[in-house]
Amino acid sequence: MKTLEKIEVDALVVGSGIAGLQSALDLADQGYTVAIVEKNPSIGGKMISLSKVFPTLDCASCITTPRMASVSHHPRIQALTYSTVDGIKREGKTFTASVTRKPRYIDEKECISCKRCEEVCPVYLPDEYEQGMGAKKTISIPFTNAIPQYPVMHPEHCIRCGACARACPKDCLEFLQEPAPVEIKAKAVILATGYETTPMTAKKQYGMGALPNVISPMAAERLLAPHGPYGRVLRPSDGMVPGSIAYVQCAGSRDKSIGIPYCSRVCCMYAIKQAILLSGSLPIADITIYYMDIRAFGKGYEQFYNNARAMGINFVKAKVARITEDDKHNPIVRIEKQEGTSAPEEVKHELVVLSQGLVPACDGTKFNLGVGNNDFGFVQLSDETSSSAVTAGTGVFAAGTVKGPRDIPDSVVDAGAAAMEAAAYIRRL
Amino acid sequence: MTQKKILIITTNHSSYPGADAVGQARMAYGANTYIIRVPDPVMFPEDFYLRAYEKGIAGIIIMSSGSDCPYEGAYERLSKRVARVYEQMRAKGIASNRLKLTTICTVCRAAFLKEISEMEKAVTAV
Amino acid sequence: MDEKVKEEASKDNYRQEPKVGVYVCHCGGNISDIIDVKAVAAALAKYPGVTVAREYAFMCSSNGQDLITEDIKTLGVNRTVVAACSPSLHELTFRGVLQRAGVNPYLHEHVNIREQASWVHKLDKAGATAKAIKLAQAGVEKVLRKDALNAIRVAAEQRVAVIGGGAAGMKAALAAAGKGLEAVILEKTPRLGGKLPELGKMYPSGEEGAAVAKKLEDLVLAEKKITVHTGAEIDFVSGFVGNFKINFKKPDGSSAQVKAGAIVMATGYEHYKPYKGEFGYGEDGTVLTLPAFTALMKKLPAGRLEYGGREIKSLTLIHCVGSRQVEGVHKPQADGKINDYCSRVCCTAALHAANQLKEKYPGVRVYDVYRDIRAYGMKHEEYYDKASKDGVLFMRHNELDQPVVVSDRTGHTVKVKDVLTWGEELEFKTDLLVLVTGMTPADISLIKSQLKLPSGADRFLQEVHPKLRPVELANSGIFVAGAAQYPMDSTEVMASAGTAAAKAAILLAEPDIPLEPFVAVVDEHKCTGCGLCPPECSYDGALMMGEHNGKKVAVVNPALCKGCGACVAVCPTRAINVAGWTLEQFDAMVDAIAKE
Repeated sequence: MKTLEKIEVDALVVGSGIAGLQSALDLADQGYTVAIVEKNPSIGGKMISLSKVFPTLDCASCITTPRMASVSHHPRIQALTYSTVDGIKREGKTFTASVTRKPRYIDEKECISCKRCEEVCPVYLPDEYEQGMGAKKTISIPFTNAIPQYPVMHPEHCIRCGACARACPKDCLEFLQEPAPVEIKAKAVILATGYETTPMTAKKQYGMGALPNVISPMAAERLLAPHGPYGRVLRPSDGMVPGSIAYVQCAGSRDKSIGIPYCSRVCCMYAIKQAILLSGSLPIADITIYYMDIRAFGKGYEQFYNNARAMGINFVKAKVARITEDDKHNPIVRIEKQEGTSAPEEVKHELVVLSQGLVPACDGTKFNLGVGNNDFGFVQLSDETSSSAVTAGTGVFAAGTVKGPRDIPDSVVDAGAAAMEAAAYIRRL
Repeated sequence: MTQKKILIITTNHSSYPGADAVGQARMAYGANTYIIRVPDPVMFPEDFYLRAYEKGIAGIIIMSSGSDCPYEGAYERLSKRVARVYEQMRAKGIASNRLKLTTICTVCRAAFLKEISEMEKAVTAV
Repeated sequence: MDEKVKEEASKDNYRQEPKVGVYVCHCGGNISDIIDVKAVAAALAKYPGVTVAREYAFMCSSNGQDLITEDIKTLGVNRTVVAACSPSLHELTFRGVLQRAGVNPYLHEHVNIREQASWVHKLDKAGATAKAIKLAQAGVEKVLRKDALNAIRVAAEQRVAVIGGGAAGMKAALAAAGKGLEAVILEKTPRLGGKLPELGKMYPSGEEGAAVAKKLEDLVLAEKKITVHTGAEIDFVSGFVGNFKINFKKPDGSSAQVKAGAIVMATGYEHYKPYKGEFGYGEDGTVLTLPAFTALMKKLPAGRLEYGGREIKSLTLIHCVGSRQVEGVHKPQADGKINDYCSRVCCTAALHAANQLKEKYPGVRVYDVYRDIRAYGMKHEEYYDKASKDGVLFMRHNELDQPVVVSDRTGHTVKVKDVLTWGEELEFKTDLLVLVTGMTPADISLIKSQLKLPSGADRFLQEVHPKLRPVELANSGIFVAGAAQYPMDSTEVMASAGTAAAKAAILLAEPDIPLEPFVAVVDEHKCTGCGLCPPECSYDGALMMGEHNGKKVAVVNPALCKGCGACVAVCPTRAINVAGWTLEQFDAMVDAIAKE
């Protein structure tokens, strides 16, 4: 067992997506010390894997990487990546978090991020960063702009050939590395654990994830990313360039049958954005968005929607009852139109994106700090008309999508307010 | 073929972001355009412009902030100076349509493109 | 890391032999799909003064930044040119890289080959590449002529002035005070609360707006660090980051001044006011706006809905009045523009009002005429559901088929081309028409013109960037909170105001603020003391004639100089320049661009 590493800071931020990063920076820039704990091997959350972001169409990486760099260079922020928060205890005015650093099986102090281990490793795995569309090595740096740039080894897939150890110029492979415990003492906690998308299997009428050319929006983001798995937009089943692409809106939101009656707020806009990007990379493709209501409610969003319509993207008011496929894996979408005709129609497309909704990634109540959830598992505010971040747990604040779906601009603003509430709380102690 | 180069003088406050907005909207214009940015074009003396023509610049568009200008009195001074530049251009036989003083805001995308296409026409005659 | 020490260490870089590092960013294809970045780097590597030229996928990434740091360490690079996206995004990022590596951060030149090259020259790859090379070469010429600059530190008032005493203003002041800063609220009306007290029952908490206003006001009044001036009529705002001065008249007519290091604009919104005749508004007493109707509903007794002396048996809500306007369909606003934005909160507000109406007056028939229902918040769909269950009849029209209202003594006849019944033209009678009006920014033209604050096409205050700097205005030290920026609901206002206060607290974290050093500088050897420049200066005390070493010379006060350069143009000997933006640099850039 390794010796216990102890860290003492003003604030603990759980999660390092855009909300976690921003609240950490807004606290540290005011002079407070911050520890961030992130379960993934890199900071950056979901945003770093997106292609471009609405409504400005900036590349997501260009907006996220400078913040990731600021966090990693900040003299008052420590980021613990590939680490889990196992529990948080309140003792008087102090929180004590038990954290486990998961083994990467390399010596982080020695690693020079040269990727030679990755080059020689003979075992390929589906790359979850590329939504399973690409492959990665069993020992690999998680993605191009990951921070930190350390490889992670997955022992369950390792064939123990030793090639990586022989290739490493610094002799830093540690096959016997064990999880390392860390204790973090902090005066305040910010929960910024973010969201997951509703699973592909959520709605059985939509193919249960078994139709190869019915994909998730996160997969579409990777297809559209300039540094994505194929470097261009191809459909998964046969690598064909799709000529007809459809978006199914509210596939995982506003749907009581799957237990998610709320609107996920971002899906209209990300679908419109992806449609705009698709029409840029596939100028001759037909792009259709099947929707109930277009919810372009943010600053500049309505104009963004209008631009998409002017570009020829086809918006059809229709409910999608069912998706099947033909023998060439072309998705067949059965729609009930709201305008024009009442008879259900079946429309063949070559690629379909399910505009999945957002669900909580982590249960904020599990640390038993007095935090309450709403009916859908998101963290509940204690008084929403006086604060956007104060929870029922004293000293525990919430930032970003842990409180419910919201887009990036809203999350960034929200995170600053969470930092401010935490700062005021720490000052009052 | 010699390129007819257009120099575009923009301001930090409005026309430079305006030029960015044209890019963000993925609108298109010719690659013979060279944008430089300054706090305010009021800083350039008359001879800066004449020197640029001598060096081979075909056309110059001054995209000022106009009424959005953050500096007091700068626009009035600039427009008076440009009038004097026109006089000196006339004396040297440089066509006056090779210099344009205009106002471009942070979202004036169409106006930005219009100014460039007009200057394109002016410089083809050079 | 002690930044002041690094600053000192970096002061003398410019005395070393200049070694320029040029870095061309691919921007993950954004640039490199159009511009041949390898060719740009190769051309620059051969350019005089350049020590190294590289290209990389993401210069802004940690790896990209490390490339520069490494070249500074091993090759002695002491000036950099980064050809990438707009400097508005990453100029500060790269200045930071230089600073951390011990090089003066102002020995960096940012060349924009994305927004102003690859994105606008898609069909001319060769032209875009040639242009990028020229721009980068001009950048090298500029950076070769740059001097190391050091931030001018300005003592800052440790106080935040909050303009507006509504929900956003009160929250911003509370958050700033919570951090230990003094806050002063300037509210033009006689009371705090802004629009809150008029709002009636608010979604989703169900609290009365007046109760929320009272709650926030009690917190404000209990906070010793907050000073409140109600009935304050602002007549002059001046100054700059760290040292703003706001002159205002008190209700008794006396004048007062607030000095502040930062300003939070919490000036709020106005309800859209329909023009006379818009769906009969202003011509018929039974056409109301939603805010007027909710205020009315609060006052009326339950059971039987009576208005204007008669019973209201049916009521029609028309959405998007003053919002999502369409060119050619809607009448332009006073400034000639249409309100093409969505006002965000009105759909939910209308549904919430319909719920309350049906609770209080179950017998009233309610029609709801809409384009899209934008009930985006966590509980908002429940209001929509409840309205449907309560029997509210929804009709949906396309933007080009606006509903038509004809009014006479018997009531209103509404015609809607309803897409829910497959485009059938429906016609029905209704007693009361409620226009679901949007939001417009409050009139702050005086402050806007005095401080030169930017606004967007929608007339709301415009942030620098929605994700990078979402509550900062382009004017340093001025932040925006709440609906002065864009329509938002009460919880969103709390977030926005909290963040605005956070940015003010970061700015005022130290007693002196480092300012950008771009002010006029006089070369005393070249200055002949001719006296032509001071009359060009618009800022009192910024530029005067004085004496130095027994010689008559122009003297600049860097704390007052704005760096516009009006003085620069008139100097016959080119003795005066704006630091970082010298004429010599621009002449050299023009030479590089003009060269065949």
